[in-house]
Amino acid sequence: MGDIRQSLLPRDVLSAAKELLYHLDIYISNLVQSGRQPPQVDTKTLELVEEFILHAPKDRSRMSALQELQLLEIMCSCFQEQSRDTVRQLMFSALFSLQGNQADDSRMGLLGKLVSMAVAVGRVPILECAAFWLQRTHRAYCVRLAQVLVDDYCSMMPGSVPTLQNIHSASPRFCCQFITAVTTLYDFTSEELIPPLELLQMIVSWIQDDPRIVLVTFLNTPLSGSQPVSSLDLTPLGGLVRWCVKAPLGYRRDKKQASVHCSSEIEQEVSGLFSALHLSVLQVFMLLPNLLKEKGIFGRLALLQMDSLASLTSDLSRQLDQADKHTQISTADIHVLTQLALDRLAQALQVAMANGALLCSRGACVYPSSDSGTRKTLGVQILLRLSVISRKLNEGSVFC
Amino acid sequence: MLRDQAMSVVFDGSPLNAMQSSHTHTPLTVLSGQELSLEIKSFISGVDTVQGRKLSVREHARCAVRLLRSVPACRGAVLEHLRGVYDEHVSVFLLHLETEGDGSSGISSNLEDIIQEVHGVLSEFIRLNPRAWAPLVSSWAVDLLGQLSSKHAGRRVAPHSSSLNELLQLWMSCAGTRSLMEAYSQCLAAMLAWCPDACVDALLDTSVQHSPHFDWVVAHIGSAFPGTIISRVLACGLKDFCSHGTKDQGLLVNGVDKGSRVPKIGSVVGILGHLAAHHSDSIRKELLRMFQESLSPSTPMSPTSSSTSWEGSPQLRRAAVPFLLQLAAMSPNLFGAVSAELVDLLRPPVLLQLHSLLQGLPREELDNMLGLAVHLICQSPSGGARVLRFLADTATPASVIISGPMPSPHEGVREGCDSLLQMLLLHLHKLVYNRSDSADGHPHHLASPQPQVVIPFLEELQTHVSELCAETLRLERKRHLWLHQLLCLLSVYGGPSVATEALCQLLTQARNPEELALAWQLHNTLSSCLAGLIPSAVAYCVAQIHTHTLGPRQLRQLLLNLATVLQSQDEDRRGTPDAQSTMAVQVGSAVSVHLHDFSPLLLHGDPTVSHAAVRLLSASPLPRTASPAHLLLLSRAAVAHFFLALRRRGEVGKVGRDGGQAAEAVSCSVQLLSRFAAYSTLTLKAVLQQLVEGVLHKGNAGLFGGQIADMSGAPVPSQSGSLDLGASLLDINCRFGTTVNFSGSVWSVFHAGVIGKGLKMRTDSPQPDPSGVTLNIQTLLTVVVQCCSSSGLNGSRPPADPDEPPPINAEAAKVIAVTLVENVCPDVANGELSWPPEEHTRTTVERDIHIRRCFEAHPVLFTLLQVVAAGRPALCYCSAVLRGLLATLLAHWEASREASSADSPWHLRASCLLVSCMGEGQLLPPVLANVHEAFSHLAPFEVRLLLLAVWEYVRANGPMPQKFVFNPDKGLFCRDFSRDGDVARYVSPIHSVLHKNIDRLGHLCWRFQL
Repeated sequence: MGDIRQSLLPRDVLSAAKELLYHLDIYISNLVQSGRQPPQVDTKTLELVEEFILHAPKDRSRMSALQELQLLEIMCSCFQEQSRDTVRQLMFSALFSLQGNQADDSRMGLLGKLVSMAVAVGRVPILECAAFWLQRTHRAYCVRLAQVLVDDYCSMMPGSVPTLQNIHSASPRFCCQFITAVTTLYDFTSEELIPPLELLQMIVSWIQDDPRIVLVTFLNTPLSGSQPVSSLDLTPLGGLVRWCVKAPLGYRRDKKQASVHCSSEIEQEVSGLFSALHLSVLQVFMLLPNLLKEKGIFGRLALLQMDSLASLTSDLSRQLDQADKHTQISTADIHVLTQLALDRLAQALQVAMANGALLCSRGACVYPSSDSGTRKTLGVQILLRLSVISRKLNEGSVFC
Repeated sequence: MLRDQAMSVVFDGSPLNAMQSSHTHTPLTVLSGQELSLEIKSFISGVDTVQGRKLSVREHARCAVRLLRSVPACRGAVLEHLRGVYDEHVSVFLLHLETEGDGSSGISSNLEDIIQEVHGVLSEFIRLNPRAWAPLVSSWAVDLLGQLSSKHAGRRVAPHSSSLNELLQLWMSCAGTRSLMEAYSQCLAAMLAWCPDACVDALLDTSVQHSPHFDWVVAHIGSAFPGTIISRVLACGLKDFCSHGTKDQGLLVNGVDKGSRVPKIGSVVGILGHLAAHHSDSIRKELLRMFQESLSPSTPMSPTSSSTSWEGSPQLRRAAVPFLLQLAAMSPNLFGAVSAELVDLLRPPVLLQLHSLLQGLPREELDNMLGLAVHLICQSPSGGARVLRFLADTATPASVIISGPMPSPHEGVREGCDSLLQMLLLHLHKLVYNRSDSADGHPHHLASPQPQVVIPFLEELQTHVSELCAETLRLERKRHLWLHQLLCLLSVYGGPSVATEALCQLLTQARNPEELALAWQLHNTLSSCLAGLIPSAVAYCVAQIHTHTLGPRQLRQLLLNLATVLQSQDEDRRGTPDAQSTMAVQVGSAVSVHLHDFSPLLLHGDPTVSHAAVRLLSASPLPRTASPAHLLLLSRAAVAHFFLALRRRGEVGKVGRDGGQAAEAVSCSVQLLSRFAAYSTLTLKAVLQQLVEGVLHKGNAGLFGGQIADMSGAPVPSQSGSLDLGASLLDINCRFGTTVNFSGSVWSVFHAGVIGKGLKMRTDSPQPDPSGVTLNIQTLLTVVVQCCSSSGLNGSRPPADPDEPPPINAEAAKVIAVTLVENVCPDVANGELSWPPEEHTRTTVERDIHIRRCFEAHPVLFTLLQVVAAGRPALCYCSAVLRGLLATLLAHWEASREASSADSPWHLRASCLLVSCMGEGQLLPPVLANVHEAFSHLAPFEVRLLLLAVWEYVRANGPMPQKFVFNPDKGLFCRDFSRDGDVARYVSPIHSVLHKNIDRLGHLCWRFQL
């Protein structure tokens, strides 16, 4: 493709990018047809992409926003019209696989816009490709993509939430990966990292409609065991458990600074949403044994990772410490909220263990790496709850 | 178009309802992906994809707005497209203005419509989610505003960028720019809450990029958010300054930019400069606050201080003072706003803080700052005097003796101020002298003079010259050296006018020779570069005298100082001449030009002033040329002062300081009169004439032992009391007594007294002290003789014998004689020199009586007559007076029935004096002139006989000046009596009387030998 560069150079940025896309399409089609395994796009082509589509070298004139929009539109049609999944996937990864160089920023920018646009105009193939991208990419970048979508559809255009909601039906895979990314992103560690209400509503409605949505990726992925390092979790279950457990104390902290205007209504709505979410998560856990047994991996694959649980308990203990220091909230409220958080954690642990999502003993999951005093007492409390819950379960009573 | 009803879920948030209600024409139904895709295609191609026709601008914009609402990924593209819409709108708007509205208003309103729509959408977004939208829209709006302002700056209707108000008016009347401005304001209002630095940063960046066309935006925003913008702009500038380091400082002061990298401080200055017009108060407060807070002891990061405040960072705090200096250096406006109050802030505690802060800085930076501070002080247009006082106060070493109102400052602070002051002087020195060098050094530049470098500090100090001089004259340790140096610089800078004023002030304010020496030092320094300084200084002083700006004390001091200088000239004339003496000569010549201006001061109401004036005038040389009017004026004043001085000497007596001063005044006055009389014939005549008139003036009669006789014809009082000079009531009574009807009034007052109380007692005037009278007469005589005998009139002939007094000049004596006659004789009838027969005196009785009374009232007349007699042949001109007096004396002695002539003492004395005078004046030969020696021994009728002989002689040998011949040996006129007729026949009565009284007059016989 060396001569292509010469032919692209004199062209204006947009037509050069279009031309390159066209060549890329042909090149990858040929690559797939040649049947070489695994199909690998050579670095020269990647460099061309960086130069003419991502405009990584600073000296080249960048595209204006309008030209970029045209390019996005062309990409949309291009992916849409490509009938072969393999070619499409290869093209997508040729364009957007992170290379660890300076082009990554513009790559992420373009990807964000492309996905956002695909969501808007309902380009399913792109969403599928993006879902695959989310599986293969480092979680830090996945989180950035999720952030772009949340910003676009939840923050900046509150009216366009329904558009985003559509991805559930358009591409469940993408939807599932999106939930995972979002739960990873919003971990209640700071004010900015508390999920927006719109997002929460959307996710709750998705999971309520179809609890299986959280398992789509897990179910559709061959268990090759070759998960890339630091990629997103296979399922959003860990993140969702974290949300439910941290929300009672975390959300409250946010509300302190929000305007008093209809805050109590929102608070009620939020607590209702998190309860519903918690229930849905538990229900998903209950679905697991059958699915795992179908795949023949019951007791062999832990969907809930031990280290994420460990960080959850330490976060929770920190939250409890901070809650004590808050003067705005009455101690009675804090007590109630603490109980709620602990209850949820205990229930989730218990149900996860019972359904083979968590592969360890009670003690091990409570004291993963406990060293501080607070955490020990927390562990004791959780343990206590666990035993109570298991007794109730044994007696057949219903929790919640 | 299909509407996906399933997807049009009404979101249950209230914001959405608001959106729908506010924009009903853009239904907020969620479009399907297919529709959106078509919309995007339409937007990109500008062609309606369904109908296949080109979209109008308006439709295209609507399409963009729809995409903005529904496809987040299009945001950038839509905003970019809207730039074009705004641009077109502005173009149309301006075109419309340029064509004064010949149509095309339709397009304009059309676009206005869409712009309002866009604005509505944007403002709604900002309102709903400021955090997400405000940064985006604000940077877009600011950038677009900058672009539009720059692009259309050259349009015909666009006012020049310097007229900010017109620009503001133009752009705010355009819907597009106004809407952008509003959107930006909205963003800013929202963003100020959480990231004010970011938005101000953007504003500054754009301002730098599009300056000066963008200034109106900054001005508008600034006036909308003055408080926040000012402090934020400052904080931004400080941070930028800090991150830049201070290495650019030196370059910026000299106005040299690095070009490639323009620091934000430039736009900070620009923005604050704009805001200064309306918000200078808040700017000043903010700047001063920054200064104070940077100094106040650093507190650990408090929980309230946000990340944006600079107070928390020690590095920024350290940079604040240099930053403020830099800012001030770049903007005279800002500096002017702060400088006035800054000095007040610099109390000792603040100074200590500043000192400790500055100690931490590296040497080089300190030097930079010092240089900057000096530069600023030099450029300070106002408050320079206060700054100077502050510096001098602080830098003056603490003294045990002088403890000012402030506690003595810290030693380090003092040294700092000291060095600052030194540097300031050095810098000013450079500025001042380089400035004049460039003017003087290149004469060919004089044809096209370069604008002189203006040094505002000195400009301002020019109005404070007098305070500076006063401060300098306090001679306080180091301070007066500094101030003196500054005065020199100021004088050189300000040119002749300032130098003149300074010198004049020093002359006026100096109170002793040490202080006066400062004036000479100043003059010595300046004389090299400023010519004609002294004449102009003296002229300035004179002007001040004329305008009465000086109080009596100052006036006196000025005159005394000038006199001191002139006297030093006299002293130095004997010694070796030095710089001071040459200056004294200059002062002398300058004063001499203005003598007539000083002369009125001789008669100043304050005796000390008149004394000072006479000292000056007596010491001053006389001008080479002078107009007669001035000379007359001067002579009149000098003579009047002479009498004043005599009177004052009589009043204060001789004891004490006043007495000494009065005596000195008299001697000065004498000196002045004699020198002045010697100046020219004119002055001689004037002086003598006025002296004589003054002597005869009834107000002065008392000085010389005279008594005022009532000349009005009223009954002569029996007692010898004289009338009171100031008896104005009497005068009034005299005048009105006969005309005013006093009927009905008990207190009817007549000139003679109150009815019923008898005659009014004549009030006795205080009998003059005889010794004082003698002294006065002596003084008068000295003056007159000195005037008359001055060498100026006697030709160049020196007196033959130095011990012998110079002869009385005949011309001068004639002046006295003529004046006497004019004043003593009531009329000019019978004024001829030759004498009639004695019988004819009957016709002139009244006149003769008047003359006699005159002599009675003014004994000093005899003294004057003696002087006249000495100046032969002047006495001839007194013929009428002599004749009159002799006639009355003859009548007296004829009527007298006393036994001895000694019984009429006055007449005896008068007769003696008269005859001796005539003898001295050579109207009588010595034989006849000696008869007066016998008078006191004779009976009245015998006296009459002798006087008759005198009369007869004079009648026969008329007193004609032409009978006198000049004797060059003696330098005198003499009369050769041998040419006249025989004396013998006149001597016979004498001999008869001698014979008759030979027992008593034997010893006198030899006197009457022929």
